[in-house]
Amino acid sequence: MKHFGFFLILGIVLLSLQVVWGKFLPFPPARPDFTLAFTLYLGFTSSSFIGGSLAFALGYLTDLFTGNVFGFYALTRPLLFYGVQLYRSRFNLDGFVFQSLLGWVTAFLEGCFVVFLMMTLNATTVPNLYSKLFRLLLPQSVATGIVAPFVFILVNRTSAFVFYRSKVGLKR
Amino acid sequence: MRIRSFFFVRRHHRLILVIALLITALALMSLRAKQRSGVDFLDGLWLELCSPFHEVSTGLAKNLQGLFHLPFQSSRLGEENIELRQQVARLKEENSRLKEAALASERLRRLLEFKETVRISMVGAEVIGRDPSSWFKSVTINKGEKDGVRKGMAVTSPEGVVGQVLRTGPHYSVVLLITDYNSALDGLIQRTRGRTIVEGRGENRCQLKYLLRTEDVVVGDIVITSGLTGNFPKGLVIGEIRRVEKEGQGVFQEAELVPCADLSKLEEVLVITETRVLPSPSVEAKEAKPKKPAPIRRKGR
Repeated sequence: MKHFGFFLILGIVLLSLQVVWGKFLPFPPARPDFTLAFTLYLGFTSSSFIGGSLAFALGYLTDLFTGNVFGFYALTRPLLFYGVQLYRSRFNLDGFVFQSLLGWVTAFLEGCFVVFLMMTLNATTVPNLYSKLFRLLLPQSVATGIVAPFVFILVNRTSAFVFYRSKVGLKR
Repeated sequence: MRIRSFFFVRRHHRLILVIALLITALALMSLRAKQRSGVDFLDGLWLELCSPFHEVSTGLAKNLQGLFHLPFQSSRLGEENIELRQQVARLKEENSRLKEAALASERLRRLLEFKETVRISMVGAEVIGRDPSSWFKSVTINKGEKDGVRKGMAVTSPEGVVGQVLRTGPHYSVVLLITDYNSALDGLIQRTRGRTIVEGRGENRCQLKYLLRTEDVVVGDIVITSGLTGNFPKGLVIGEIRRVEKEGQGVFQEAELVPCADLSKLEEVLVITETRVLPSPSVEAKEAKPKKPAPIRRKGR
């Protein structure tokens, strides 16, 4: 429960960064998805129940702050989490390049899936879809790939610091 | 039997969790689509819990931006001051002309005995967050139900229409911008009075739909709200037409619109909380006339 609460607050802080700091970027479409990188981190480190619930909660919160009427991210984030968890033993988590590549590929695939859902369920036509995929989705996924290793390091260090400190506190 | 089911759950616990979460997500989507009040309550609760984080982040970001820009801006302040003084002089002159025009319009309105006058109540709000994804367009504002903001209310800025309220919490709300794919608004071409639907296209652009081919629309035409749908009063500026396409066959033509309000740099917005149609002063005066006093009965009759 303590881990769940801590990671949830960390997720909300990352979401706040994503929501607020995006507008200060010189090229707005290249806005990194911090919460997606965080979900990937959870896929590697958390248990099925805690990680899955957190991925769902973060997806729900992302939906809450978007103009997304249905709520697609609450569906895609748990899928992403379990996808990573299923194959986590086959990947080397420590590699910077691997983390970056994973962030990039998953952000792109998730974006494509969201657009597909949007067009299917919402009966929305997205004009110039392919050019938009490259103009909007590609910069965002590349930016997510770039920040993913840093999010991994940040979350890893913060959680290590918090839980190590609390253990020391208990010993005393 | 119980033992067997226990082992089944233990063995397939991950699969069961995946299915449970996906079913919850799908149920949530379905409830949202049906606009059930339970989901609204949950949304409001989480909006209230998370928005203070956004507010703090916005404050920090603004302070840092101010600190960063201060040394660069000081050299430009003098020039800007002169420019602003000139602009104030221009606006004063324009203001007096508009006052004259408003008075003339009021006189004509009385002459024609127009039956209605529209009074709009607004609440000012600060933008504290933007959409976390690239595909959807929305902003979070620091006013909610406690300030009179309700779902579906029109949101505008001094430059033009911004969007409408999508979700509300007690102190915060999420506004769907007019450029979002889910947004549609009834519009009117100001010059020709032709009716159209303004649909969001993402990337700070809108599309004009069901605009009759016979309408003489040109680039630069202004589109305003028609006042027929939602809570948007008539006459609010939506945007300017940038491209008109009459190619192909069909009843309608296509046009692209750019919103007058710069939606990528929004900082403050106005939420229209009430649009009241008031009777004109002449009608009011007629209605307020005292009734004829009843004739006094004389004794003996």
